[in-house]
Amino acid sequence: MKHRAGAGLRTLVLLPVLGLVILITAAASLAVGYAALPLDQAFADAIAGRASLPALVLLELRLPRALLGALVGFSLGMAGAAMQGLMRNPLAEPGVVGISSAAALGAVAAFYSGLSATVALALPLGGIAGALSATLVLFVLLGRGASTMTLILAGVALNSFAGAATALALNLAPNPYAALEIVFWLMGSLADRSMSHVWLVLPLMLAGWLLMASTAPALDALSLGEETAASLGFDLTWLLARLIGGAALAVGSAVAVTGAIGFVGLVVPHLLRPLVGHRPGKLLVASGLGGAILVLAADLGVRLAPVRPELKLGVVTALIGAPFLFALVQRLRREAL
Amino acid sequence: MRRVRRLPCALRAVPVAAGLVLAATSAASAPPERIVSLNMCTDELVLRLADRERIASVTWLSQDPRNANMADVARQVLANHGLVEQVLALKPDLVVAGAYTTRATVNLLRRVGTSPREFGVPRNLAEMRVQIREMAALLGEEARGEALIADIDTRLDALAARRPARPLRAIVLRPNGFTVGRGSLVDEILTRAGLVNIAAELGIESYGQIPLEAVALAGAEVLVLNDTPDGPPSLAHEVLHHPVITALAGKLKPVTLPSRLWTCAGPSVIDAIEQLVAATEPSR
Repeated sequence: MKHRAGAGLRTLVLLPVLGLVILITAAASLAVGYAALPLDQAFADAIAGRASLPALVLLELRLPRALLGALVGFSLGMAGAAMQGLMRNPLAEPGVVGISSAAALGAVAAFYSGLSATVALALPLGGIAGALSATLVLFVLLGRGASTMTLILAGVALNSFAGAATALALNLAPNPYAALEIVFWLMGSLADRSMSHVWLVLPLMLAGWLLMASTAPALDALSLGEETAASLGFDLTWLLARLIGGAALAVGSAVAVTGAIGFVGLVVPHLLRPLVGHRPGKLLVASGLGGAILVLAADLGVRLAPVRPELKLGVVTALIGAPFLFALVQRLRREAL
Repeated sequence: MRRVRRLPCALRAVPVAAGLVLAATSAASAPPERIVSLNMCTDELVLRLADRERIASVTWLSQDPRNANMADVARQVLANHGLVEQVLALKPDLVVAGAYTTRATVNLLRRVGTSPREFGVPRNLAEMRVQIREMAALLGEEARGEALIADIDTRLDALAARRPARPLRAIVLRPNGFTVGRGSLVDEILTRAGLVNIAAELGIESYGQIPLEAVALAGAEVLVLNDTPDGPPSLAHEVLHHPVITALAGKLKPVTLPSRLWTCAGPSVIDAIEQLVAATEPSR
């Protein structure tokens, strides 16, 4: 009892603290850039509605970058927590199991075919379609409680297929620049994104978040086993539909505008799980907030690192995430022995 | 796209000099009748200087009017993708290539005894004149080469007369957020159009990436957007359509210039200068 009360209190403090850290990193993201920007003047002009050059840079370049960093990070973090809760497997993550690369393939098809130039919404919808097909394939092939081994193998297959198909699509794209742009789609970046990208994906992401958040009680029940959850009155098929749909909406639209940023949904839920008393339902929002912090911080890192042109975001998250994944695999192996 | 940093002058002079020697020897024999070009920029010179009947093949790139200036003529000629088999099947008596492209093909052709003549990338109008003369001699079309150069010089003289009293400050934005700095052909084009290249002042040598933030805050009066109008989509070109560029339009003069005008150092760079002068004139 005492343990649960402590966990409850920690969760109560956790969310506001994470929120505060997001505000700080987002503010830092606005302040850090490539050109000397008089911030006070930029803010004053932006608030007064004067379209001065500093205000333009703040509103059209730095603000969308910070907003997208937070939105995409929230989507990836929450989707990671949701999938881990659903599959009851600590390695279930959009990047590792290939959902992100499938989303990139869908977005690439929508973008380079010229479809998204006529209908802007085609870009996120392409990403969502890719993410949805990959998630469905995973569940049809593996079902819930799949072993770590099968999950990873399916992920390897999906990742290599989607990566190869993306490379093919880019090679076939008529624009001579396209073939070089695979790095963006496989590694992700927030460089030169705009407010139109924010407005394009915000409603779709919000819908995805709400769908995933609505499954919190069912996820908690599911941690007691499928039969227990069903006996508590939770419809498992309906839970599955909401989670898959929500994750596809969030991850698909995120990847469509920033490319596939890996490992966020893997690292963040693991770090935060002990802090929410190992309740998968509570972990959803906390992981979202943590994901936003991680992506914002990584994006600060690529701008502060003395490497030009700037590193892709996925490079930084992989540098953090890959050792993490190895440690995790090591632990799973020890537990299996 | 030329993203490759330029080689030092000494290295670059070698292919030019070698080309001159070879040109001198081949000019004595009969002019080539089956010319194959393996580079988009040599394509353009060949298409301008030689009759179509003598051109066996040019690259597929030159057939796209969005990328190339001589696409109409190029479409009447067989296209190649710079592959050895394609070249040998055409039984050429002259192969011209760029000094930095299709390296594997050039090396293989050398081994089978069909040595291609290589052409470097001119960094200014003077080098461009030299290259036109060199190509004209190689093709046995000296008179057409001189006529082309005379036309270029006449148009340059006319442009010099229109140069403004106060040069406007300008910056070039190319796909992928690249700009053009000191020591590049485009730098000379801007100067000839009466513009001051801000990127050169910022210390950028030849080609370099520039963040959109820096473009917005550079204090430019003219923003030269190097776009491919109606081109197929790419992230590289999306940078040129970022909302901040549209918002900047109220503060400076945006000039859209198709990339093909200065992709190659050919006579069309004069078109680029003329378009720049015409676009910036009314504001003076």
